[in-house]
Amino acid sequence: MTNNIFKRTSFMALAVMAATPLFAGDKAVNWWYESANPGQQEALSTHLIDKFNASDKDHNLIIDYRGDALTQQLRVALLSGTGPDLVQTPGPAFVAAMARAGQLLPLDDIAASKGWNDRILPFFLDLGRFDGKLYALPKTYETLGLFYNKKVMSDNGWKVPTTIKDFEKVADQMVAKGIVPIGAGNSNWRPANEWHVTLAMNSIAGPDNMQKALTGQMSWTEQPFVDSVNALKRWWDKGYFGENYFSISTEQMISNLAEGISAMAPTGSWSFGDVPTYFEGQLDNVGFAGFPSGEGVPYPIYALGIGTTFSIASKAENPEGAAAALDFMFDEGFYTDINNVWQGEWNLPLRDLSNVKLSDDVLPAYTASMAALASAVNNNQYGYTSWTFMPPATNSYVVSGIEEVWLDEITTEQFLSELDAIFKQELAEGKVADIPAR
Amino acid sequence: MYRLFILPTMIINIAVISIPAILTIILAFYRWDGISDPVFIGLENFERLWNDRIFWKALRNNLIWTALFLTFPIIIGLVVASLLLTVRRGSTFFQIIYLFPLVISAVISARVWQGMIYNPQSGIVALLERYGLDLYDPLSRTATALYGVAVVDLWHWWGFMAVIFFAALRQVPQEQIEAARLEGATYFQMMRWVLIPGIMPTITLMMIMTVIWSFLVFDFVYVMTQGGPASSSEVLSTMAYRRAFYELKVGNAAAIAIVISLFGLVATFFYLRLQRGEGE
Repeated sequence: MTNNIFKRTSFMALAVMAATPLFAGDKAVNWWYESANPGQQEALSTHLIDKFNASDKDHNLIIDYRGDALTQQLRVALLSGTGPDLVQTPGPAFVAAMARAGQLLPLDDIAASKGWNDRILPFFLDLGRFDGKLYALPKTYETLGLFYNKKVMSDNGWKVPTTIKDFEKVADQMVAKGIVPIGAGNSNWRPANEWHVTLAMNSIAGPDNMQKALTGQMSWTEQPFVDSVNALKRWWDKGYFGENYFSISTEQMISNLAEGISAMAPTGSWSFGDVPTYFEGQLDNVGFAGFPSGEGVPYPIYALGIGTTFSIASKAENPEGAAAALDFMFDEGFYTDINNVWQGEWNLPLRDLSNVKLSDDVLPAYTASMAALASAVNNNQYGYTSWTFMPPATNSYVVSGIEEVWLDEITTEQFLSELDAIFKQELAEGKVADIPAR
Repeated sequence: MYRLFILPTMIINIAVISIPAILTIILAFYRWDGISDPVFIGLENFERLWNDRIFWKALRNNLIWTALFLTFPIIIGLVVASLLLTVRRGSTFFQIIYLFPLVISAVISARVWQGMIYNPQSGIVALLERYGLDLYDPLSRTATALYGVAVVDLWHWWGFMAVIFFAALRQVPQEQIEAARLEGATYFQMMRWVLIPGIMPTITLMMIMTVIWSFLVFDFVYVMTQGGPASSSEVLSTMAYRRAFYELKVGNAAAIAIVISLFGLVATFFYLRLQRGEGE
């Protein structure tokens, strides 16, 4: 009897072991991912983990969802010589410090052998280079723009504004009608503040001035930036942001847009991921356009950002596996699969998308906006997002300082003067990412 | 030979407390981004803190927080514990109810209050507004954000105080309580002359610990406001966290940590003095 139980237990244990993915490949490729909801985890599991593990018998990709504190956990882990093989950071500014500390593997040889230089858009690839070596690949390129509710706009006879003057005119009319012109909120993600600063600076001061300021050729206290922050302050005072900015979450922001509580929502291309949920049954009502431009600045300007980068840890236990996983991702096949189910988050900067045919289920607004973005970049009408191009302390100050301007704790001049001082110190410390020439 | 018995504790103490504490003190004199090599800068981190208006705001908020937690939970805890003494049946049930908020994760409690109570679109505040009450989300205004967070932490915390005080009150000699009753002592006289003096060491200990805990407060503030709006609810620990992990200024964060520790050390000094007094 005891022998029988032992045999059965042993058999079941072996069966479970055989079914466990951990034993599917020879070597595990560990990857720590940020937050992802169950649907998104399912998408990664189906289109990335399962397909990669099936195609590459030597390696076994494992994703560990670490939540919003991924960066903090990574820094501690890498410092202690542990952590994942595949390193995911929130942007080039974080890569710079890690690369210079020797925590990341130079990818030049791997890129050459796998043909990444031919597959990835050079502008974005250059953002992963530090001191002449390639350390990071961009996971997704993203932009900020103006989401709007087509029905609310047409019902009221409003046109999507293309200039700041028209924007303020239509926003005043919206406020008079009790509709929030700038549907926005930061209750769950305080850095949402920087989206507005990025938009104002790129669209009012203009990308040329942004480039000069980011390379230290111009001070942040100059008039174009004063005008940009003054505009944000004016919009706040006139009630464009509504009464509940500090209470509304980024999901409620899209929900309010769908319900017509707000007419426009300046946010990033990643918000396309929330559109199907909140615009259910009225997907045709969502529109996306460039943010209006100020005088002398062409329209539209799309501020470019890299929300996330991929690198390989210098102490990775399986660098070959991590390189193989990256190679799998930077491919038209994976691009098509993942963008069919999860738009806005996996806009891999591939050079050639001519063979990519997204499913008919994908939002037409998403496909159109990505085409508009590509065209704008081609015409040099791109700007700079704060989280990609500003160094860490400057970026953090943008997030906290603009609240102080809005709530009359400091003036525009004080804000920009402090911003300038922090930026200059970080520039001197070599923490500013290399900004490609325009 | 008997000295070997302290070895395990000593190893844990050195590895988990002493080394990180010493490293934090050393780092406060360095500029370090947490990744590259640290650079010695003397007292510059402290000088920067001295001139940092957010630091003074955070310190003031910590002091307000300490004052709130030295009064409300201790008073409520004492009153409720004394009432529990009079309950002949069901005191265990009430203790469980009072302790319930404490066992819920701080993140969950904070999110529930933020989204289901305070939120002006989806919370109870929104519901009451529909019935004509002029309410707003306290987390959204600079004047009330800190208090809005403190209310949630107080809700989560006072039950613990009540249970601790109840346990202490049960140790007060029954003869003293009976004698006071026979003398016709009122509730307040009983509290003033019998119960509070009887548990004074526990109250003092809880007050000292409250000072230390108040300077370590992080979770509720970070989840509910992240120190905003406009740094109005910033406390030293959230400021240190942002400096270390968002701005990559680990040396600056270490200097803030030392300030936090100083307040804890003062409280610990009083605690040790108290202990010595009890021993004599």
